[in-house]
Amino acid sequence: MRRFGALLAALLLAGGLTACGGEAEMQSAQVFAMDTVMILTASGGETEAALKAAEDELYRLDRELSRTRESSAVSRLNSAPEGAAEVGEELRDLIARALDFSDATGGAFDITLAPVSSAWGFTEDAYRVPAREELEELMAHVGAEHVHLGDGTAVSLDPGTQIDLGAIAKGYASDVVAAICRENGVAHSTVSLGGNVWVCGGNPEGKPWQIGIQDPARPEEADAYVGILRMSDGFAVTSGGYQRYFEEDGKLYHHIIDPATGYPAESGLTSVTVVSEGTEGSGTMCDALSTALFVMGEERALDFWRSGTFDFEAILVTEDGRLLVTAGLEDSFTPDETAGYAYEVVS
Amino acid sequence: MRMKWSPELHPNGWDALAAAVVVVLALVSGALLYTGGPGGGDLTAVVSVDGGETDRVDLAALTGSEERVYESRGYTLRVTFTESSAQVTASDCPTQDCVHTGAITRSGQSIVCLPARLIVELEGTGDTDGPDVVIG
Repeated sequence: MRRFGALLAALLLAGGLTACGGEAEMQSAQVFAMDTVMILTASGGETEAALKAAEDELYRLDRELSRTRESSAVSRLNSAPEGAAEVGEELRDLIARALDFSDATGGAFDITLAPVSSAWGFTEDAYRVPAREELEELMAHVGAEHVHLGDGTAVSLDPGTQIDLGAIAKGYASDVVAAICRENGVAHSTVSLGGNVWVCGGNPEGKPWQIGIQDPARPEEADAYVGILRMSDGFAVTSGGYQRYFEEDGKLYHHIIDPATGYPAESGLTSVTVVSEGTEGSGTMCDALSTALFVMGEERALDFWRSGTFDFEAILVTEDGRLLVTAGLEDSFTPDETAGYAYEVVS
Repeated sequence: MRMKWSPELHPNGWDALAAAVVVVLALVSGALLYTGGPGGGDLTAVVSVDGGETDRVDLAALTGSEERVYESRGYTLRVTFTESSAQVTASDCPTQDCVHTGAITRSGQSIVCLPARLIVELEGTGDTDGPDVVIG
């Protein structure tokens, strides 16, 4: 009988061992929102409840923050009589943060480029090169100084000014999803919101997640990376001109507009990835800064990183074939040598 | 202090057999954990629309290339599957990003057609050297 007991215990132990993989099995969800596909995977804690709540929040944020939905809070502000509206606490706080990023980056990040972006056709996928005079007229209404935070949840815009949160909304959404996962005790997660990534807990095998950084020179190849970033907990956001562009008369025009000129930024960079620890609010910061650093160009971007204004690391890809990684990522980033970039660690 | 064997705990042939079973189970469990379970190496293409799975193709079971047609949100996509790959070969969507993605060949890779809200994703344990997430 004892022998039978020992055998049964061994069987249960073996069964338990093989079931470990099942416990760590990742559940996933797909969400089509904010003009992109979002892939969420998670395990541990109340995974199912976390994924459902995250889905609901992503759809809600899409409804509230979209500039192309007439009923969104952003659209209500853009079309408000006298340019003033009560936008609610969430949107008011997000606009306030956006204005702070504009200030900190010397205007390289700007949410008031909406009419300019529309003139280029990037909002409606109706691409065109606007006339210089048209751009000059629109640029008169661009700049953080045209957005005013009022009492309570009131925000007002100067005549002719409109906002677009496209360069910060997905980052904010990643912060919201991260908070939901934490509240539900999720142990392992990857959240990919169209160029915005949040990971937590490392993978179920106890190793850091591996994040491939797309090679901007080969955007149409599914497995063409400039390198692999290993990270257990944190945010990473990439901005690049290759993500959306059109060609006219042999010249390429991409969607990241330089607030100083109204034209697609020609900064010498083809891709910028901003990386930060997984602290609350960092997803929003990474999203805003990836755009800002792309506009700034190599020298200004690295000076900004060195200034320590914000706590982040960066991966820059230059037009002349260099791959620049800030010192804090030296041990967690492995360049893909087959991509052909000259690799430099910047300090 | 000297230990004394209890007569009831003297090992015999049955104990040796039980110990052998334990060792064998441990080895099998370890092997399953290491390889990720039975069926390792096979790829399955999962096609989903609006987040819901609509088709599943066992690539290892294919003897040649096979084209399947999917319709979603007014768009028609032709997807070609082989023993080791999946590729959107034609689509009437406006962006053509799905067609430009080319063939995917590794577990975890996916092709996304945003206008059709369709995703073709490879699942399996064949080649898991690729990253967990891709940004860009």
